[in-house]
Amino acid sequence: MARIRIAFSKEDPVRWLSHLDTQKAFERALRRAQISLVFSEGYNPHPKISFASALAVGVISLGEYVDVEIDPLIENAELVMRLQKAMPEGFRIIDAEIVPPGQPALMALVNRAQYRVKVPLLSSIEEKEVQDSIQTSLDLDSWLVERESKKGLVQKEIRSGVYEVKGTVVENHLLLEMLVQTGSEGNVRPEEVLSMVVQQKDLPVQLERLRIIRLGLFVVKDGKQFTPLEVLKDLR
Amino acid sequence: MIGQVLEDELLNKVTKPTRYTGGEYNQVKKDWANVDTTMVFAFPDVYEVGMSHLGLRILYHLINDQESMLMERVFAPWTDMEEEMRKRDLPLFSLESRRPLKEFDVVGFTLQYEMSYTNILNMLDLAQIPLLSQDRADDDPLVIAGGPCAVNPEPLADFLDLVILGEGEEILPILLKKIGNFKKEMAGSKEAAPGRRQTLLRQLSQLPGVYVPSMYQAHYDDGGHYKGLEKLDGSAPDRICKQVIQDFDQAYFPTQSMVPFMGVVHDRVMLEVLRGCSRACRFCQAGTIYRPVRERSAETLQRQADELIRQTGYDEIALTSLSTADHTCIEPLVKALLQAHEEKRVGLSLPSLRVDAFSVNLAREVQKVRKTGLTFAPEAGTQRLRDVINKGVTEEDLMETIEKAFQGGWHTIKLYFMMGLPTEEEEDLEGIARLAEKVAYMGSDIFRSKGIRKNIKVTISLSSFVPKPQTPFQWEAQNSIAQLEEKQQFLKKRIRDRRITYNWHDAKVSFIEAVMAKGDRRLAKVLLKAWEKGARFDGWTEHFRYDRWVEAFQETEIDPAYYAYRNIEYNEPLPWDHLDYGVDRSYLVREHKKAMEAALTQDCRHHSCSACGVCPSLGISVDLRGGDHGQNSDRL
Ligand code: SF4
Repeated sequence: MARIRIAFSKEDPVRWLSHLDTQKAFERALRRAQISLVFSEGYNPHPKISFASALAVGVISLGEYVDVEIDPLIENAELVMRLQKAMPEGFRIIDAEIVPPGQPALMALVNRAQYRVKVPLLSSIEEKEVQDSIQTSLDLDSWLVERESKKGLVQKEIRSGVYEVKGTVVENHLLLEMLVQTGSEGNVRPEEVLSMVVQQKDLPVQLERLRIIRLGLFVVKDGKQFTPLEVLKDLR
Repeated sequence: MIGQVLEDELLNKVTKPTRYTGGEYNQVKKDWANVDTTMVFAFPDVYEVGMSHLGLRILYHLINDQESMLMERVFAPWTDMEEEMRKRDLPLFSLESRRPLKEFDVVGFTLQYEMSYTNILNMLDLAQIPLLSQDRADDDPLVIAGGPCAVNPEPLADFLDLVILGEGEEILPILLKKIGNFKKEMAGSKEAAPGRRQTLLRQLSQLPGVYVPSMYQAHYDDGGHYKGLEKLDGSAPDRICKQVIQDFDQAYFPTQSMVPFMGVVHDRVMLEVLRGCSRACRFCQAGTIYRPVRERSAETLQRQADELIRQTGYDEIALTSLSTADHTCIEPLVKALLQAHEEKRVGLSLPSLRVDAFSVNLAREVQKVRKTGLTFAPEAGTQRLRDVINKGVTEEDLMETIEKAFQGGWHTIKLYFMMGLPTEEEEDLEGIARLAEKVAYMGSDIFRSKGIRKNIKVTISLSSFVPKPQTPFQWEAQNSIAQLEEKQQFLKKRIRDRRITYNWHDAKVSFIEAVMAKGDRRLAKVLLKAWEKGARFDGWTEHFRYDRWVEAFQETEIDPAYYAYRNIEYNEPLPWDHLDYGVDRSYLVREHKKAMEAALTQDCRHHSCSACGVCPSLGISVDLRGGDHGQNSDRL
């Protein structure tokens, strides 16, 4: 019996899968790959599969992670190969690593997300305007955003969860790259960062054609940044 | 181009985007350059309904397994998607190659339900294909249809180029092959061929089970009664015979089934254990369409289950058919399947149960977690009426079965009934309420005596009788909407017990269903009008608007009551007379007369043949796989 951490990407067309559908797709692929899952005890046993964090529908991700308990253990490379064969088009299995006992759950571990957003411009703008907007927004101490919750609209302060924002103009598109907080401490959404930056200088963007890519999920420990797989390799 | 617009603009605007993305595991994407014939299977309802349909899954893989042809899929876009597509003038496209439907050789609809007819028109319109068969040009696709409602496709006759009767597994590849060959011949000839489409249709009409509506003209007398069909072409067959698979055990069955991303209605391995049902309920059209009963052997089923589980990764197998518990090997089969897949925690389910103790035992075996309810269909509230419809179930059977269910720990029981059945009286309705109460009291007693503190829940689901073609009740009238609604209210007042939940179907929907089910070609105008007024997804409560239909009937001067409310004489010509389902009219008449006397007809599987005519006329026989169990030498 062992816990395996799997890194994967989620691109077209499966970027349209909800979190629940992604979970289901993985379970079925693991079954097809004849990888024997470990089930929970109890009334309604379910396989022990847990994801790092939910990805919004429509977002492409190049670095997603899932922990799976299996028995018997299979060699990493073999698992990657077998699972890749069983995955639907658009999922790529990148790597796998055994998780030693006692390691925290993925969900408790991951605390950073890196995103790239790409949005068409309605009119051309200077690179400098983008830099100004970013700087102005980063200079603010408070970023209040409104979010829908079960109790209706709530306000949230997100400034402290934004660590890095870079921007540029490419082929009539505004490109933003950002590193933000994610996980149990709170989530910052890439759209919120975009809208904060755009607001400052009224940048002319076509929001309904926004494309978001999650470049990766990370663990920041003692000021150093690792991927969830590097954390494990580091332990070896 | 379509793919780009879809990914960039559409998918983030609609609910449930995976309805439109394709890309499911086991999807087949073939190279268009390497095939002769292309067909898109068009399901006139949303993705999650269509993907639960076994027929689609069978034909999809069957056709894609043939080297010279391909099949892709399209479903009715939900209203939000339709709106976005219309805004951009984007044509309806297939999921696999994201090509417009117009580019296919064949667009094939499945006719599952009368209330999806307006979706067919809507899909053709979205595909920018002329709605009327006569308006289509040589380079338009052939619009074809099959499925249960092909029993009477006459209301759709003007929109369809061709209809396939019966089981399509054998005839569809032959049909597509012919179309491919025809294309090649035409490509070779330099002459522009006028009437090419007609030539092709005439050739195809020679195939067994293929009906080309445009080769016939319907006639009506001065009183507006249907008189019959006239052949417009000497080569057209007088009658078109339904197709059946001779050896169901060896029939094609795909084991590389597609695995949808979103939850669909039946999200599991579907194992078709048998086809047909000969219990001979007199309202039931499926009982005619799929006759005679043919079983798949336990060995075949086990092999298919193994392969399907391996190929799909599903964790549940459903044993499907019209009445799965009737399979002569069901017990050993269930045991073997449970045992084989236990380790991987693959469960079993039996979607349809008959009312007997045996079924409950089976359900108990397959049920891992006992929280889902059990459903039974007594259909009528009194023994007299159950005898009229030949539902061979007694109240003792029912109570005994349900007692077993309560004893087994089930606390939710669902009972299906039909109202408006021929000869129904107030006491039959009263009987529904009385039965439900009896069940509720029995449940409470059993639970109390066992000291279980759990509430009993009895749900009665009430549908309205719709007389259907090719059944012994085809000559019967439907109750009026007012009558049905009155009966619904009667029961509503009558049922006061809080343990009983009572649901009923919209009587207005059943009325339109009856009109379409027994309609003739004149109804095309109504369908067109109703669709123009916005009708689509009529089977969905939130979209059905009765006033649209009322207006459509008025504006086309067609009296819907004529179709639904009239008792038809035995000797009247019927709009579906030319479509031969193998069941003799004399048998249907005999059954109808027996119904009026509340006389029973036995199941030909276990008793003597009731001479329905199917076996001799199709040259086939009942095929059971249970050895000496239930065999009967008296059968034809
Ligand atoms: S011909 Fe006889 S045995 Fe065959 S299906 Fe009809 S009733 Fe049954």
